[in-house]
Amino acid sequence: MNAATTTENQTVRLQFDAQTHVATLTLAMPKVNRIDAAFGVGLQQALDWAAAQEGLRGIIIDTAHRDFCVGADLDTLFPERDAGALLARVGHLAALYRRLETMSVPVVASLTGSALGGGYELALACHHRIALDDARVQVGLPEVTLGVLPGAGGTQRLPRLIGIQAALDIILQGKVLRAPKAKAAGLVDALAADREAVRQAALDFIAANPGAAQPWDRKGRMPGPRAGSGDARNLFMAACGMIEKKTAGAYQAPRVALATVQEGLAIEFDRALEVEARAFVQLAISDQAKDMIRTLWYHRNAAKKHEGLPHTDTPGIQKVSILGAGMMGAGLAFVCAKAGYDVVLRDIKEATLQTATAHCAAQAAKLRHLSEEDRNTLLGRIQTTLELEPMRGSDLIIEAVFENLELKHRVTQEAEPMLSDGGIWASNTSALPIGDLAKVSSNAKNFLGLHFFSPVEKMELLEVIVSEQTSESATARALAFTKRIGKLPIVVGDGYGFYTTRVFSAYILEGAQLVAEGHDPVLVEWAGRSAGMVVPPLQVFDEVTLSLGAKAFTMGRQYGRDLDLPGVSLVEKLVEDGRCGKAAGGGFYDYKDGRRRGLWEGLRAHAQGTPKDRSVEHLRDRLLGIQALEAARTVADGIIQRRRDAEVGAIFGVGFAPGTGGPLSYIDRMGLDAFVAQMDAFADQYGERYAVPRTLRQMAEHGDTFFEAV
Amino acid sequence: MPDAYVFDAVRSPRGRGKKSGSLYATRPIDLLAQSLRALSSRNELDTSLVDDVVIGCVTQTGDQGACIARFAALEAGWDLDAPGVTLNRFCGSGLQAVNDAAAMVASGFYDCVVAGGVESMSRVAMGSDGGAIFDPSTLWNVGSVPQGISADLLATLGGITRDDCDRFAVQSQQRAASAIEAGRFSRSLIPVTDRLGLPVLEADEHPRPGTTVEALSELGASFETMGRQFGLDALTKERYPQVERIQHVHHAGNSSGIVDGAAAVLVATKEMGQSMGLTPRARIRSVGVVGTDPILMLSGPMPATRKALGKAGMQASDVDLWEVNEAFAAVPLAFIQELEVDPGTVNVNGGAIALGHPLGATGAMLLGTVLDALEDHDKQVGAVTLCIGGGMGIATILERV
Repeated sequence: MNAATTTENQTVRLQFDAQTHVATLTLAMPKVNRIDAAFGVGLQQALDWAAAQEGLRGIIIDTAHRDFCVGADLDTLFPERDAGALLARVGHLAALYRRLETMSVPVVASLTGSALGGGYELALACHHRIALDDARVQVGLPEVTLGVLPGAGGTQRLPRLIGIQAALDIILQGKVLRAPKAKAAGLVDALAADREAVRQAALDFIAANPGAAQPWDRKGRMPGPRAGSGDARNLFMAACGMIEKKTAGAYQAPRVALATVQEGLAIEFDRALEVEARAFVQLAISDQAKDMIRTLWYHRNAAKKHEGLPHTDTPGIQKVSILGAGMMGAGLAFVCAKAGYDVVLRDIKEATLQTATAHCAAQAAKLRHLSEEDRNTLLGRIQTTLELEPMRGSDLIIEAVFENLELKHRVTQEAEPMLSDGGIWASNTSALPIGDLAKVSSNAKNFLGLHFFSPVEKMELLEVIVSEQTSESATARALAFTKRIGKLPIVVGDGYGFYTTRVFSAYILEGAQLVAEGHDPVLVEWAGRSAGMVVPPLQVFDEVTLSLGAKAFTMGRQYGRDLDLPGVSLVEKLVEDGRCGKAAGGGFYDYKDGRRRGLWEGLRAHAQGTPKDRSVEHLRDRLLGIQALEAARTVADGIIQRRRDAEVGAIFGVGFAPGTGGPLSYIDRMGLDAFVAQMDAFADQYGERYAVPRTLRQMAEHGDTFFEAV
Repeated sequence: MPDAYVFDAVRSPRGRGKKSGSLYATRPIDLLAQSLRALSSRNELDTSLVDDVVIGCVTQTGDQGACIARFAALEAGWDLDAPGVTLNRFCGSGLQAVNDAAAMVASGFYDCVVAGGVESMSRVAMGSDGGAIFDPSTLWNVGSVPQGISADLLATLGGITRDDCDRFAVQSQQRAASAIEAGRFSRSLIPVTDRLGLPVLEADEHPRPGTTVEALSELGASFETMGRQFGLDALTKERYPQVERIQHVHHAGNSSGIVDGAAAVLVATKEMGQSMGLTPRARIRSVGVVGTDPILMLSGPMPATRKALGKAGMQASDVDLWEVNEAFAAVPLAFIQELEVDPGTVNVNGGAIALGHPLGATGAMLLGTVLDALEDHDKQVGAVTLCIGGGMGIATILERV
């Protein structure tokens, strides 16, 4: 084998095999293969070099790292606001990929690692894609989840390759698929058992396809309905409907992506890439993309990596006990067992334990990649009990009983002795101050809050609450636990409602308040949805139940929360009348057989007065504004100790409009002056709860922002 | 400025708009040519005096492409000096042609213009001419939904129920049946013949006289699946956020029929008509065309009518007979509701639910229909109005002379 390595190339290792006449381009950037300026230069040089190899018969692109190529370097993209400059860079990359697929020799992508975004688009610019048959290898186009779209040919290559419908399914949802599913979906052409098999398959393809050309460079029709046909038109229209139904117009990226696919398919391929490039740039320099990238990429990654958080290499947690085998406890048991912990699940009712066991079995059954034996091993780690004794020696006890201080105190006193030496006590309370709960603890240093979200198997966020007495070591060990069970932690200070419950409560109370003020409930819900909230306020209030809300008001009053509002009275009245929410068959909505049937006609009768500003815009300002204000208060109160937590917590814990980047981003984007002025006006007209905290006002006066402007 | 007079109006019977329809084997150019030939022959028209032939046709592709107006006129044996122009304002095209003819004549620049329309829905499918109207870009930037969703939205906004629509549909069928039986279309209806002169179609073949409300109530709502499952209802929400849920009430039985047909109307100044030896039947009092929200799409008849009435210095109560195109039952029902007109004066001989709606021709047909009805009932003032895709509306007011 003739090894011919160009030393200037920082990106790609080059090898030419004199027997097979195949050039191998190995992506070998310093740490991880990411698309930046160096990548572009390296790839161009590589193509120059390959083209110069005498008797070249084919090209294989593979990787020196675990991943094939993970997509664009966001550090360059994130601050970019210059359309012209970005368009030039995008055009350059598109031209490179175009050159790759028109070199008159077959080019094969050897996907022994994940290919995402622009990395997968590189693979799409090859004639053939072979992936390692391994669930850890993922391919796809996740760009819309960050507010942009595939800008390196994906919107034009994928539909021409697999048809409109299949391509839209991937592009519009930002889907990433594991290799076996990717093969089924047509994103890769073949699977192979190991690296050698992948390489051999690549060589075989090259030998068998000397005149390889892309479908769009050959005569012939793409799979499925022809672009411009009536069937295609219906597909696009249905896609429009689905986007609108799911996102209520809150996101630009899926809309622009869909339009780009359709517009590009109407014209020939090279010019279609221009359409894509312009659409990509339009999104990439937009506010929404900036805000989404900041939070969903940078903040989320930092939180996931525990940046700046206490760390320990010796967490010393193996046995976990859970008190309370309701929905939450059962889910927790499963999640812990899945992570390899030994679990004891305790309740005082046998029936509850049985339901919990069934739940865990059902969850295990869903893990189809596990063998029967592995599943049994997993379930075997969970021991259910009515007794205390089996809990002895627990390194971590998670208390998940009813939200009642006296009950929690009793349970703590009873079970805390079951902790091992240095064991940690964690309460799953959503609002009760940890300091208050810890009053009965024998070791408040090791007492903290782990506030999970339901359903715990799905919800990534974990709100870790540390009291004034909680030790850093306990926090570090708890964080090690959160990492092992795959959760996304925010670490917040102690106070009634902590962070997420305060923000969530503000949201749903404001929804009730708007109805009480006389706003059309249909518009209130639309305002929530169209503002980008994952679930509209009255609907989610029904889901958590109004009785829970009423209880929370009572509890809140004990903690000095001024709750003398028509919205509160409305909820209390509805509860009095038995309209407690979804589980009760009626709340703000009517339900039949568990399904939502529409807003209750009787709501209007509970309204007092006629609102001045009935616009949807006003309702959006109120619903988002009250949450953002509450978030700003928690920063001022020291509950939020790092600003990324406010964003991550709001979005992943309580469904705050992801398109805004989070409540603090929302304030920054509006401008602190404008936000303060709006809140002051609302305070005048709608009440004290809109009072702006002093620190926020000062920030506005000094021209500060929560995050660096971009 | 001279007035524009209507001297005559003819139309073909409407064939079912399917491959099994009676007019499927007749080229649209021939269909139109027959209406034009009938107009010229029964009026002994010197076609060299026709300044222009303005024809409405919506799906101008395939058999209906290439300025069908001009070649149909020549096919009809008209003088080489009778030019033609083909226009598209969707469902309003036929009436637009009449209004254009009237305006051309009233301007003093033209003396005699023949208006009309043609649509062969069996041979040239609705929508087959493409366009950007349903491009995602248009949907996002402008707003656009399929008409059926608009119709159901219109019904929902007006509190018009499924039962209301079905009853209206039955009434349309009953009125059409009795009109056909009584020969009330005979003055304008010209049978379509083949090259042998043998009749191909002599009467409207779309009506279903025995239709009952019970039978209609069995039909599923046509736009429910696309609206709810495919999310097309969601596309109306941004503009109509106060609508919690669209009630889907329309189906094939209470919406306009898909049919083939053609029509022609002779418009000229009084002097020109008289010089041709013809007696005017009506004067075009005024016209109105408007644009409204493209998502609701079908509410155009109301403002268009108000505009035309205003131009004529008239009130709705001054109109004796109305033709409000039955694109969907909710359209005339909403019109009657909003303009507070007597339902007994609207579509007295039935409408498109029974008879069918040959897109480009309907407006011109309705003009002839209302004129015949005015003469039948010895009434004076008639109005024709149609809802139009893209959120437009068109109206024409005429007065017998």
